[in-house]
Amino acid sequence: MLECIIPNNIVCHAVEAMLFASIACSVLGVIITQIKISSIGFTMAHAAFAGAALGLFLNIGSTSMAILCSIVVAMLIGPLSQKAKMSVDTTLGVLFGISMALAIFFIAYMQYLGRGFNANVLLFGDVISLYREEVYSLAIISLVAVVFVALFYKEITTIIFDRKIAVSSGINVTPIYYATLFIIALTVALSLNIIGGLLLYVWLVTPAAIVYQFCYNVRDMFMLAPVVAALISVSGALYSLEVSLPVGPFTAVLFSIVFALAVIISPKRKISRSKI
Amino acid sequence: MTENRTIYLDGVYTAYEGANVPTLRNISLEVREGEYVLVGGPNGAGKTTLLESIMGMLKITHGSASVCGLDVRKEGLQVRRKVGYVIQNFAFDPLTPYTAEQVVMMGRYGIMGCLKRPCKADFRAADQAMHLVGIEDLAAKPIGILSGGQQQKVLIAQNLAKEPSLLLLDEPFSNLDIAAREFITGILENIAGKGISIMMVSHAFDDLPDRDIRVLVMNDGNITYDAVSHPGDVEARVKSASGVV
Repeated sequence: MLECIIPNNIVCHAVEAMLFASIACSVLGVIITQIKISSIGFTMAHAAFAGAALGLFLNIGSTSMAILCSIVVAMLIGPLSQKAKMSVDTTLGVLFGISMALAIFFIAYMQYLGRGFNANVLLFGDVISLYREEVYSLAIISLVAVVFVALFYKEITTIIFDRKIAVSSGINVTPIYYATLFIIALTVALSLNIIGGLLLYVWLVTPAAIVYQFCYNVRDMFMLAPVVAALISVSGALYSLEVSLPVGPFTAVLFSIVFALAVIISPKRKISRSKI
Repeated sequence: MTENRTIYLDGVYTAYEGANVPTLRNISLEVREGEYVLVGGPNGAGKTTLLESIMGMLKITHGSASVCGLDVRKEGLQVRRKVGYVIQNFAFDPLTPYTAEQVVMMGRYGIMGCLKRPCKADFRAADQAMHLVGIEDLAAKPIGILSGGQQQKVLIAQNLAKEPSLLLLDEPFSNLDIAAREFITGILENIAGKGISIMMVSHAFDDLPDRDIRVLVMNDGNITYDAVSHPGDVEARVKSASGVV
């Protein structure tokens, strides 16, 4: 897609993948951070990680199993919280633990069986050896995420503001909530090979946290978060490929630096201090 | 007689999921258009549960419930689009990224339905609601930085923007100063005068409209007192029916 600007195929695929992953993750990240379920990021990432490990163990394709496991976990969050009478945060913690245990079990068992397996790609991502199809799937999911938020903007923003108010306003909250979880699950599973299970959390939470420092309006957050995420991801990818640094970890550090700067210069921080 | 009935509950039982005993037991109640109803009673008596059952937000396990001519058990979503409900105990993050105007507009979202954008009529309804409650000057301000009383007014405006047939309010005066209470009382009286029924859970008996109002007292999930009263007698009647000497 960007071949006309970036002639090198490897660099082009890497930049495209980072661009689409950052758009999808950051748009969904605004929902995740504002609804205060940030832990969904690492729970989904580790569910995808466990699915990918299971896929490799069963020789049936890591991506499809990663998608399946993320969706199963996404669909379990609501009913499990309700049936076990636990907060969503506790449920996410329990599911995270189970996912991590399963992932470690399959990796250890494969090593015990003498089947060589390098978990680094799943943990830290690898933008260098991507197939064109992987980039296309990321493009599609980023488009789905943006269109979903645009179509259900009023419902999503009301649910984010206060779920009880959304229910009493006559919004059909449950299908929209589950559709959001479903799209998060797909995004996380498809981004796993690019960003890695351990770093995905940065893409899901940090862009929204950066723009939150400057926005007094949720609409501006939805507009700015993908722009900021895309700028950081693309420049991080281009620079790290140029000087041969690991792309995912370097870009994650870049996100953290921008976040620190955002907190320092945030007008909200000045308001809070002036109130004191 | 049934056409001007806003609320009709017949032998209603409501239980929270997993609870061994129902929270509301055998509630039968009829509220007519334009009626002003105050619900009193001790903490834990089931007052908020009654409002949420009427809204279809809690599952009615037995009995029949009809609100604005709709079956609450089957058409809960439609009921919530016709009934305003000002919630109790709201708390907004000081930095929450929503303006007062956006929060008021949320009252219209259910009526609009999915995949529809606000039209002129929606903006007009939101503007009128803000004007009625006197918060036009707060429209562009982030809701989190407003005082508790101002936030309460925003939530009342949000529900008025819905142009409801019935307005339920749970402790609406809890965050308001004396002037704001009198102002809101006047608005509610005006609304009731237009044929909109009002059901309000409150422990504030100083700010009642200058008209006869219907008083319900709840105890242990039941309505134990139901009579029309003069505003000056309400406090004594609620106390007496609640077992407070």
